[in-house]
Amino acid sequence: MGCRDIRETISAFVDGEASPEEAGAVREHLASCERCRVLERQMRAVGAGVRQIRGTVPDRLRETVFARLEAEGALPPPMPAHARSWRWAAAPLAAAALGLFLLTSGDAIRKASVPGPPTAVFLTTEDRETIALLDVLEDTATFDADGESEGMDLLAPGDSAEPPAPTRGARSGA
Amino acid sequence: MRTDEELMLLFREGSREAFEELFARHHRAVVRFAWRMTGDPATAEEAAQEIFLRIARAAPSYRPTAKFTTWMYTIARRSTLNYLRDTEEEGEKVPILQEGEAEDGVYPVHLPGPEDRNPERMVWEAQLADRFRAALGELPEAYRAAFVLNRGDGLSYDEVAQVLGITVQAVKTRIFRAREMLLSRLSKDVSG
Repeated sequence: MGCRDIRETISAFVDGEASPEEAGAVREHLASCERCRVLERQMRAVGAGVRQIRGTVPDRLRETVFARLEAEGALPPPMPAHARSWRWAAAPLAAAALGLFLLTSGDAIRKASVPGPPTAVFLTTEDRETIALLDVLEDTATFDADGESEGMDLLAPGDSAEPPAPTRGARSGA
Repeated sequence: MRTDEELMLLFREGSREAFEELFARHHRAVVRFAWRMTGDPATAEEAAQEIFLRIARAAPSYRPTAKFTTWMYTIARRSTLNYLRDTEEEGEKVPILQEGEAEDGVYPVHLPGPEDRNPERMVWEAQLADRFRAALGELPEAYRAAFVLNRGDGLSYDEVAQVLGITVQAVKTRIFRAREMLLSRLSKDVSG
């Protein structure tokens, strides 16, 4: 194969996209052709060149994009401060309520552990709410975005609910 | 960690947090792509905004039949193409194989490449980077898109073919032509 005929395959070869047969032909050609060896290096170089163009992320890109999306209703609004506060206040409250429930039910549990007539356990409305809260808390993915928990201290009503800026790195280009 | 596709489905169901995570993961890549395609920071910013707006608007019809990133780059390419059409004429701006190419296919220009172990030569000087950016901007959009997606963003030829809606063979040819034109242009800078 002549130089002109194999150049396109050399391009695919430096990109790792040549088939095994094509790669073999390229290696064989390069072994005997100094000009195409130089061309191969230049082809690799321009591939590296495009990765030097990286740009910079505009300061207010996130704010602008999210504001525009909220304005046209394409993005749910941020969680209100009081709702976020309640969710995170729910954990200790739920634990306290559960402990209280177990303490007050201790007698019934002990009685249930020995043979005797079946004992019905009635759940109060508060108990049901506690259990429901535990179910919600178990599914942390529903509201615990990465990096957000650090700022999830109890918020007083009126505190800002704006989540912190994302910190996770973007997918790196090859 | 949830996949991009899972996050997109969650966003479709109304999860703001899912979109925030997708934005956090991909906004840098989107800005880079827009920058490389438009060559202008202000246009790149506008295009990057438009790309995320389109992603959000398209969420209701999103189906995870392909990788999220392939879908994202399809939107990104269409968005940048719109901006480019507004600012420049369509068509090839650099004819294939101009006089800058030597007859033997070797171009009179030295470019530091990834195979070069010398750290000093690995550094692209500012002047060379500027010339490269200018040369990239003069490529026909179809060639530039194929080249940037593969060499800049790391998409395989197959993925580039999906994004551009062309065959893998066409991708191979476009990337080769892009390389030829870049080398030709950079050679002219050196010789002329």
